[in-house]
Amino acid sequence: MTRWWRPELGLAIVVLVLGVLVVVGTLDVSAAASQLGIGPRFFPMLVGGAMVLIGLFYVADVLRGGHGDPEESEDVDTDAPTDWRGVGLVSGIFLAFAALLNVLGWIIGASLLFFALSLALGAEHKSRAAVVAVVMGVTTYLLFVKGLGVTLPGGPLEGVI
Amino acid sequence: MTSFQLLLDGFAAALTPVNLMYALIGVTLGTLVGVLPGIGPAMTVALLLPITFTVPPASAFIMFAGIYYGGMYGGSTTSILLNTPGESASMITALEGNKMARRGRAAQALATAAIGSFVAGTVATALLVVAAPAVVDFAISFGPEDYFALAILAFTAVSSVLSRSIVRGLASLGLGLVIGLIGIDQQTGQARLTLGIPQLLDGIDVVIVAVGLFALGEALYVASRLRHAPPEVVPVGRAWMGRADWRRSWFPWLRGTALGFPFGALPGGGAEIPTFLSYAAEKRLARGVAREEFGNGAIEGVAGPEAANNASAAGTLVPLLTLGLPTSATAAILLAAFQQYGLQPGPQLFDHNPALVWGMIASLFIGNTMLLVLNLPLAPLWARVLRVPRPYLYSGIVLFAALGVYALNGTIVDLFVLYLLGLLGYAMRRFGLPVAPAVIGMILGPMAEIQLRRALAIGAGDVSVLVRSPVAVVLLVLAALALLTPLFRKLAGRRRQTATTSAGE
Repeated sequence: MTRWWRPELGLAIVVLVLGVLVVVGTLDVSAAASQLGIGPRFFPMLVGGAMVLIGLFYVADVLRGGHGDPEESEDVDTDAPTDWRGVGLVSGIFLAFAALLNVLGWIIGASLLFFALSLALGAEHKSRAAVVAVVMGVTTYLLFVKGLGVTLPGGPLEGVI
Repeated sequence: MTSFQLLLDGFAAALTPVNLMYALIGVTLGTLVGVLPGIGPAMTVALLLPITFTVPPASAFIMFAGIYYGGMYGGSTTSILLNTPGESASMITALEGNKMARRGRAAQALATAAIGSFVAGTVATALLVVAAPAVVDFAISFGPEDYFALAILAFTAVSSVLSRSIVRGLASLGLGLVIGLIGIDQQTGQARLTLGIPQLLDGIDVVIVAVGLFALGEALYVASRLRHAPPEVVPVGRAWMGRADWRRSWFPWLRGTALGFPFGALPGGGAEIPTFLSYAAEKRLARGVAREEFGNGAIEGVAGPEAANNASAAGTLVPLLTLGLPTSATAAILLAAFQQYGLQPGPQLFDHNPALVWGMIASLFIGNTMLLVLNLPLAPLWARVLRVPRPYLYSGIVLFAALGVYALNGTIVDLFVLYLLGLLGYAMRRFGLPVAPAVIGMILGPMAEIQLRRALAIGAGDVSVLVRSPVAVVLLVLAALALLTPLFRKLAGRRRQTATTSAGE
């Protein structure tokens, strides 16, 4: 990594590249269908072009040393360095939950999601976290599936509850 | 029928037991999410969208309005009792409010915030009753080019006001606009930017975007830099205030309302600017004891900004209901809720669905009263909510985010899209991109496109049709000003800086 590289440049480049992708992606859309006024390509072209322009300004701003202020929030220490382990753990837990939801069903899946996330975020008592997690999983299932008619996967507990 | 009569009909609709229950659920939920860090009214309404689809629209909007107002009440409790600065709209309240709390005057600070919110909410809702029909009368003649110009003004104003850096505000707006483009073009049926993925043909649901950017983004952000010290909550009893506090609070409440309502109604006005202006005004007007107390917990510094905060929420509803123009993230989600019910806010809504609109407005008066009752005696209860251990709080937020998004279509694909948007929300927080322009861009973008194409179709491709009406010209000029003003200010600042450095040499 060289000195001019900063993580924010990544986001600025994403904005720029997204603009290019919108323009390129819109070229595929056939414009024939509209007889009056403008077709389905005009507005995306406008947005894509604007994004490219904004992206260029953004990249230039970051390269010239500009930076955004991290958002302040009640539970955030803005001076702390980024805890990549925390982000990675939360990401991994969520993605694993998404992949396994249909196999495990909502009650087991959601309980595990809550339990693992609370440990990753620093819950001190494992047994208490486990109890809260199971209560959350079961009550949300009862409330939303039995009470409000929302469809959630039952998994192996299908028919038991 | 006069609007007073319509409002009475609205009260008749809102006062049924079922709708009163929805209002109560709304204000309670709203206060809860307002008190809790990490979630706000915008995300809550978004999460409830898929679940409320079976509820009749009038009841749903009575509940949503309760959540919106309740969130404004709850935010003040957090900023007064917690010794860390919260989100921007309640940051000003924390300045004096937290100082008051630490001097043992938490009960008075909470009382002036709650009663002030009630006064401001009631007065501002009354102003909404007066202003809305007037705006409707004016807007009934708006053509598509006017609506397009209005959307452009909202885009530029929101992007330039909400961020210290205009390019970051615009980048956020652009991200929202691009997300809004994905899917089938409504007029020609062409698929756009779907990358050949069939699930993207319907576009990305606004619920996934809002929940991803707000909830999952916040959870990831908190995980990345969690404050490890437990939150320090100032203990409090019942909220009350004495005679002197009342005397000192009245005028700040009214001045705050007068500032908050018009700013809420302006595109890009929001709640931040009026709360700040109200604070500055109270500080300047302070005399005697108040003057000495400012900076150490003056009650005027809580009363004014809290009133401004709530009045701006009512102000936001004016452009939303009369023009279909959202000026805040929550208003944008409410607009999406209207669309989900097949309704389009605007002058026609007042004609075709008077019962719905006026029932919702009447419920604002009712909800405000409920909130006062809920917040004065129950302050200790809400203070206890603040002590929820953070690991459980954020795990719960992610759990409900997953629940709401899965409940939309029952597919896992949505959960992965949610994760990607969560990452985007994380990056935006980390690098100081405001989230609201993205949400507004995503929801208002497709409507801006429809109006643009309508206008150009009427003009048979002649672009000058966009500036044919004087209203559109004024709006577009304002939009340009919103973009250029920060640039000029920056240039002027730089020139002054170089002038002083050269003078110093």
